[in-house]
Order: sequence, then C-alpha cells, then structure tokens
Amino acid sequence: MPLLPSLYNVAFWLSRNATDAEDLVQETFLKALRGFASFEPDSNFKAWIFRILRNTYLTSRTGLAAARTIALEDELNESGDSAPAQYPEAAIDRQTPEMNLLQMADRAALQAAMEALPPPLLEVILLCDVEEMKYREIATTLEIPVGTVMSRIARARGTLRTILEAQQPSSRGFRK
Amino acid sequence: MTDHLSQTILNALADGELTADQLASANQHLAACQSCTSKALYQSLLKSATAKAGLRYMPPPLLRERLAHLASQANSSSQAPGSRAVHVSPLRSIWRIGSLGWAAAAVLLVASVSMMLFQRDSQRAEVASAEQAALVTEVFDQHVATLAGNAPPQVVSTDRHTVKPWFQGKIPFSFNLPQSLPSDTTLDGANLTYLHNQPVAQLLYSIGKHRVSVFLRQKSGAAEANKLVAERSGFHVMDFGTNDLEAVAVSDVDPARLAELVRAIRLAQTGDQPRLK
Repeated sequence: MPLLPSLYNVAFWLSRNATDAEDLVQETFLKALRGFASFEPDSNFKAWIFRILRNTYLTSRTGLAAARTIALEDELNESGDSAPAQYPEAAIDRQTPEMNLLQMADRAALQAAMEALPPPLLEVILLCDVEEMKYREIATTLEIPVGTVMSRIARARGTLRTILEAQQPSSRGFRK
Repeated sequence: MTDHLSQTILNALADGELTADQLASANQHLAACQSCTSKALYQSLLKSATAKAGLRYMPPPLLRERLAHLASQANSSSQAPGSRAVHVSPLRSIWRIGSLGWAAAAVLLVASVSMMLFQRDSQRAEVASAEQAALVTEVFDQHVATLAGNAPPQVVSTDRHTVKPWFQGKIPFSFNLPQSLPSDTTLDGANLTYLHNQPVAQLLYSIGKHRVSVFLRQKSGAAEANKLVAERSGFHVMDFGTNDLEAVAVSDVDPARLAELVRAIRLAQTGDQPRLK
C-alpha cells in the first residue's frame, strides 16, 4: 500500500499505541478503497489519504478523547506571531543557547517533547517536518486555512523549544 | 535596520514557504541582523531534528499482509457479495456495504498502487537526496559559522598528537590524523561539534589561505569514496567513508586540492600514507 509507512507513523503518533494505529491505518485503507472512485486523478493523493486518516482518527476513541480535552483554537493567534515567546536577543556565535539546546537535545528528548504536544500541534509538525508537506497541502489535509497552519506550526515549535529548555535547564553556556 | 523577522516569517523560511520577494527581503535582513540569523538557523536545526525524531514507528509486516488480504477480499467480494472475510470486528460493517462500484474501485486502486509504488521508490530516492542535502546544509552552516566566529578552535595545535588525544572521552570513536599532509596544507586545530545530534570531530585545516573543515563521525551507512557531493556558494562539499567512519569535508579551495587532503585523511584511517606530489 502506498504511503503505508508514513500513514502508520502518523497514526501511531496520534493514537499513541500500536493496536489503535493498526486499526486506524486499516480503516483508512478501507475508506480509501471504498472512496477511491471519488478521488480526482489530478488532485493530491497524499493529502487525500492523510485527510482520510485524520478524519478517521478524529472519530476514533482516542481522537474523541483528545478532542474533549483540547480547546486549542481559542488559544491560537491566527497570525502566529505572538503565540510562541520571542527568543531572547543573542549574538550569532557558536555558543548561542539555541544552538546548544538543539545540539544537546538527543532524539529521545525531542520525541518526548513531541509526545507532549497536543494533537493539533503534533499533526502539523508531523505533516510539515516529517512528511515534508507544503503549507497548502497541510491545509487541504487538515481542512483548515493556511493561516491556521502557519500559526499552529509557530506554536508547535515554540512549545517544543519551551519543553526542551525545561528538560535541559543546564544547557545554557554548556560549551565554552 | 528594518524590523526583526516575525516568527511566521522565520518558520516559513525554514519550511521553504517564502515567495521570492519575501525570501529576498528576509535574506537582506539576515545579512545585517545577527539575532534573526541565529533564530533562523535555530528554526532550520529544529526542523531537521524534528523530521528525524518524528520518523519513529514502522508498520509491522503483518499489517501489510492484512491490508493486501483485505484488498484481495475487496476484489472478490464484488464477485461474491455474500462473502465476509474481514477479521477485525469494528470493520465488519464496512464490508457489508458492497456495491457494484467495488470492482471498478479495486481495479483502479490496484493500478494506482502500482503507480504509487513506483512513485514511492522515487520518493525514497528523494528522501535520500533530501537527507544528503540536509547534511550538506548542516556542514556548510557549521563551516561558515567557524569562519565567521572570532573564537579560536577548541583545541589549537598543528600537532596531530595533540589534536587527536584531545577528543578522548568527548566522542564515542577514534580516528587517525595523517602524518604527512599535501603541500601548503596545515592542521590548525579542531572542535567538538554536532551533526544530526551526533557528536563529531571538526578538524580544521588550511590549504594556503583557504580554510577547510573536515567532519568525522561514526558511520551510519554506506558512503562512496571521494565523491564530490555538492557545491554551494562557491564552497565544495566532499564526503568519504571508511569501515567505521564517515567524513565530510567543506572548503572553498580548489576541489582537486581538497581531494588530496580528503585522500590523506582517508588513508590515515587504514594506516596507509599517501604518496604526496
């Protein structure tokens, strides 16, 4: 099945367990199969099948549970400019806190930070960074305006940074 | 100086979503603003790190088999509407929704799958290419940062017996430095730095007045020897591999002279010494 590894990866991230991820992918596959006749050849197949996955997730047990606990849109600034805290002024050298932060953040720490993201922020990061979708594709997949995609990406990255900083409070000034 | 770049612009820059005009404007600002340059670099590194960390789960082989089975069952169900083959209870109801459109849809899907599998191979090649491009970007950025920074190398020495031991306990591998270097080439020192969140040794050389960075790290995949992989803004990036190490060299020196240094370092890993001209 095309895109199976990608679909499964995103499904696992969203559902947080293997059984639900498998069911999610399987149901997505079945819906895609059933609705394939409605797929327009000139449209974006990846966005189309990820939209099915996402909608299936939203109506799943884990998706509904997540939706009940999150009222994210109210908190979002559509421009995204003021959502994440502005970074402190820093001269560009090889010892900026940001550089140290990323260089020292191992994969496990970043994965833990991603796990802490609320689903609406996690899914934009997965689609943008992992699946390398363009903003317009993400907007199509999530059925939201491009501006909302941009604001969620800004908020997601700001949140990741905050979490990573909290995980490694001693990273500042590590390298001399 | 104009206003600082907004968070939205910085993100769009990292994501390659700026229009040509926006990109030109952002680049103009970055050329004069250290703060925004630092933030832009951070966003790019975060995106790269997130892409790797997010690629975490692989589908079990049984799932693929099950989906293939479902596809074949979907095909046969159109011929035998009464058949039921789905073995996951929540999905059984879906299978009851048989219709004449199933056969056509299944045929279309099979054709599509073949096409998509072909595209998938292309995508994999693109992913490999993207990973290589990310590596090139990272070493390029690190090298330029080294050139731009006023700080001296973390270990300053032309003596390989000083530089190599300095890394003891700092990196999870060891390496050799060539005893003899090509003409007009000197060892300036080294830094401990990071590529893709892995500690690497950044060896600093000079070939004439050209500065060279050679990044050594533990091998994670096959690498072709002495292959010029990229050229960016007048800098040449060259990678090579040994049994245990991967290395990437970057400099604005003539590629032939960079290749001489690369060859000397590669041979040093196997204990051979290059025949110098």
